[in-house]
Amino acid sequence: MSVTATRMLLRDWRGGELGILVAALTLAVAVVSGISAFTTRLQSALEQESHRFLAADLVVRSARTPSEAYLPEGINRGLAWAQLMTFPSMVIADEDHMRLASVKAVSNAYPLRGQLTYSAEPFGEVLPAARGPLPGEVWLDSRLFPLLDVEVGDRVEIGDASLRVAASARTEPDQGSSFFGYGPRVLMHIDDIPATNVVQPGSRVEYRLLFAGQPDELAEYREWVEPQLIQGERLLDVEGGQPGLSDALERSESFLLLAGSLGVVLAAVAIALAARRFSERHRDFVAIMKSLGATSVNVNWLYGRSLILLGLVSTALGCFGGWAIQALFFDLFGDQLPVQPGPAGIRPYAIGAATALTCLLCFAWPPLRRLGGASPLRVLRRDMPEEERRSLGDYALGLSAVALLMLWYSSDIVLTSAVLAGLAITVCLGLVLAMTLLRGGRLVGMSAGSIWRLALAGLQRRGTENALQVVIFGMAIMLLLVMVLVRTSLIDDWQTQLPENTPNHFVINIAPTEVQAVDLMLRENEVNSDALYPMIRGRIMAINNEDLIRTSDDSVGRRQREANFTWSDVKPEHNRLVAGQWWPEGTEEALVSLEREFAERLEARVGDTMSLLIGSESLEVTVASIREVQWQSMQPNFFAIFPPKALAQFPATFMTSFHLAPEDKLFLNDFIRSFPTATVVEMDVVVEQVRGIVSQVSAAVELVLFVIMSAGALVLIAGVQASVDGRMHESSVLRALGARRGLLLGGLAIEFAALGLFAGLLAVVGAELSVYILQRWAMDMSYSPSPWVWPFGLTFGAVLIGALGVISCRRVISSPPLAVLREL
Amino acid sequence: MIKVDNLQKSVPIGGGELEILKGISLEIKSGESVAIIGASGSGKSTLLGLLAGLDESSHGSVSIDGTELGVLDEDGRALFRGEKIGFVFQSFQLLPALTALENVMLPLELKGSRDAGERAAFYLGRVGLSERVDHYPRQMSGGEQQRVAIARAFAAQPSILFADEPTGNLDTETGTHIIDLLFELNREEGTTLVLVTHDHRLADRCQRVLRMDAGELSGA
Repeated sequence: MSVTATRMLLRDWRGGELGILVAALTLAVAVVSGISAFTTRLQSALEQESHRFLAADLVVRSARTPSEAYLPEGINRGLAWAQLMTFPSMVIADEDHMRLASVKAVSNAYPLRGQLTYSAEPFGEVLPAARGPLPGEVWLDSRLFPLLDVEVGDRVEIGDASLRVAASARTEPDQGSSFFGYGPRVLMHIDDIPATNVVQPGSRVEYRLLFAGQPDELAEYREWVEPQLIQGERLLDVEGGQPGLSDALERSESFLLLAGSLGVVLAAVAIALAARRFSERHRDFVAIMKSLGATSVNVNWLYGRSLILLGLVSTALGCFGGWAIQALFFDLFGDQLPVQPGPAGIRPYAIGAATALTCLLCFAWPPLRRLGGASPLRVLRRDMPEEERRSLGDYALGLSAVALLMLWYSSDIVLTSAVLAGLAITVCLGLVLAMTLLRGGRLVGMSAGSIWRLALAGLQRRGTENALQVVIFGMAIMLLLVMVLVRTSLIDDWQTQLPENTPNHFVINIAPTEVQAVDLMLRENEVNSDALYPMIRGRIMAINNEDLIRTSDDSVGRRQREANFTWSDVKPEHNRLVAGQWWPEGTEEALVSLEREFAERLEARVGDTMSLLIGSESLEVTVASIREVQWQSMQPNFFAIFPPKALAQFPATFMTSFHLAPEDKLFLNDFIRSFPTATVVEMDVVVEQVRGIVSQVSAAVELVLFVIMSAGALVLIAGVQASVDGRMHESSVLRALGARRGLLLGGLAIEFAALGLFAGLLAVVGAELSVYILQRWAMDMSYSPSPWVWPFGLTFGAVLIGALGVISCRRVISSPPLAVLREL
Repeated sequence: MIKVDNLQKSVPIGGGELEILKGISLEIKSGESVAIIGASGSGKSTLLGLLAGLDESSHGSVSIDGTELGVLDEDGRALFRGEKIGFVFQSFQLLPALTALENVMLPLELKGSRDAGERAAFYLGRVGLSERVDHYPRQMSGGEQQRVAIARAFAAQPSILFADEPTGNLDTETGTHIIDLLFELNREEGTTLVLVTHDHRLADRCQRVLRMDAGELSGA
């Protein structure tokens, strides 16, 4: 086909469809490749992140010295390794200054993953450390310096060894993994352990062998070591990440994938609309070319080739856009992500290109392909009706393409079904409602003033076309509402989970005699604290009189378990009952409320009896309820809660949690001095990290919302444009006949606003359904209806579509009618 | 040479059929100029469409220079049109996104001409638009647009030129110029000219005038 004809197509920006086609395709590719690259990189970062929490890829943890064979075998397989031991011990500066500390002795290579940090002086500037303390040295937690009254360069004693204080220990990558290194941290070299003589048979020591290396080698080692493990030894790997963080990130990933899928759907609709209008507008041109001798093959080749060119340009632009989107995300995240995200590779961009290809083949090509069959007789009869051959096949093709793209892209069948269900209900309801309402509109309009009559007559005349448009607008608005609703509840959910003053310190082992004094001290210092909970350590021995086995093998679910018990007459605020009933206040019955997962592991149900051992006494209780606990809330949570009277006879210690800002951390020194037997667990680093990432993820979510909004806007513009020609023609004729501008503009505004209103109504219904399915099944969140979305959706639809319609048709008012008529 | 034998065209309408052409037969010799006149709705344009192979008949045959159009499919007829037939339309039918030169080049390129540019420029010169080659249709008057259309029709050197109300959208004076130009080029190129018109000045310039009346031809 001639160069001239191709030039013609590329020059044909006047109608605006090419612009929309390019924009929609580019947007689809950008959204898909950007989000996919982002989630790929995020996943790699998360994986590293979970390695970081172990300071290794694989860890053998043991309560005794691990078997001597483990280490050489790992070294033989080419794995990097390190060793560490943790134990509580007194650190002594002089006779008056000594503290119980959590000592961690590490070998040279520690940590294998993640970053160890120190500062040259207590509370000083945090610096990354290339390695831990050298033999003969210790690093002390900043808080220990004032408590022990030492400075850098002084010596402290651990057991029989005297070690030089070389720096302040700040953070370790695996700080949170063995929850509760009780007390302030002391880091030392593992070679100094023999000199201390503190590690004796029976000492409370945890040994860890750390390994890192290539996945294959790790897998081989894992295979080898697993059968060798004896009681008390356990293999730790990435699965034990951080629940709070991974939960937030997983949901945001679902959201992003959802957003990407919706982006694809929106772009596909925009492409289909633009291509359809493009092909309608080009029928006359094709007729001319055919009268001049062009065959259908010529025509298909011309349009097909232009489409390929368009696809290539859009894909290139889109891939660049996608790269920019993910770069922007990581720019937002940069400081917050504790590890460097890995490369995204080529796959996201391949997905983007495949999306472009699918969109072009399934949405743009069918209407263009029909151009080849356009009749040349149109050159003589321009008003010749084109027989509509838009077969059901085209719709089926488009629908399956959208469904498959979404599925492939999100790899989530629930998510895809939720969106498709919402879309389906919008379409079905839409066609019924639009037909009925538009018909009803005629009756009202008959008796209304002339602007209304004009508008309603317009709606009526293009009944089928308008119904289709209502459905398309409805779909676009529905998808946007889904995004807004999910985003709002997602961010609300995060904010309620980790509000500004989330507790970041826990105090356990508070003696009953100290409860009042602790409470007073916290209040006097205006520390924002939770209530004091009693805590009793107990053991579950039997369920329904069936004795449980005693083993430390974690893979056995139904076994004897030790847990922290508490009592309460009221259900904790953050807990939700999933089975049974909460007991009435003051009950004397022996009951228990279990945490859901704990109950599942024990295979305990409401009504079962449990036999417990607390100290040396036993207790029989009945399971009254099962609770769901938000572990990521950082509030004190308990596996088992009893009525106060059931535990009254047992001695308890108390615990609480509170929030301390970084600048208030020295308060801990006073606190520990006042209550030396209480244990403070510091979680502030972890909480801060989770909060930081969550707030950045929120920013990413907002950004994606904006991108998807643009895709939605494109659909709306394409949809309005699709109907502009006919309306412009009519309006020009009316103007030529002397209609006032106000009348025409008013009529158009009312006509489009009415379409928008109907569309808004459908959108709200579809969106509520989608969001319900999404939150209930895909995102594991609780669904609550959003009443505000009804007035919002309807107003948004009416105002936006009305405005877009008037803007698109404004030319009919501003240019002479003849000019418009001639152009059309 | 155009040979038409018992040509009929009917279209289905609500349950029945409407006969637009009722068995037309005629012959037009090479180089002849023929005007088809008649009232609106008499079937003139339908006949023109069938003669030019833009449409398919219900019955009967049209053959041009020995080629039976009825046996060709739409693509075959398109190739045939490109080879043998030129058009001038009432509404000019220029492609708005192409310049005057490119509009004239298009049919030449469709035929695979290597010198499409030069030939298009030559014919634009012959219709007096050498200065306007780079102008788009919207920048031209009706008369100028029709001259571009005439250049486009003759540039492909067709053996038959079909014109559908070529002066219908033009004022009298411009119309006269266009008629002069059409016949002048027709004479020089030796083309067969078949035109449909209401314009008696135009019909009178033709060697033969045929009258359509309710789907039937008289004066053949």
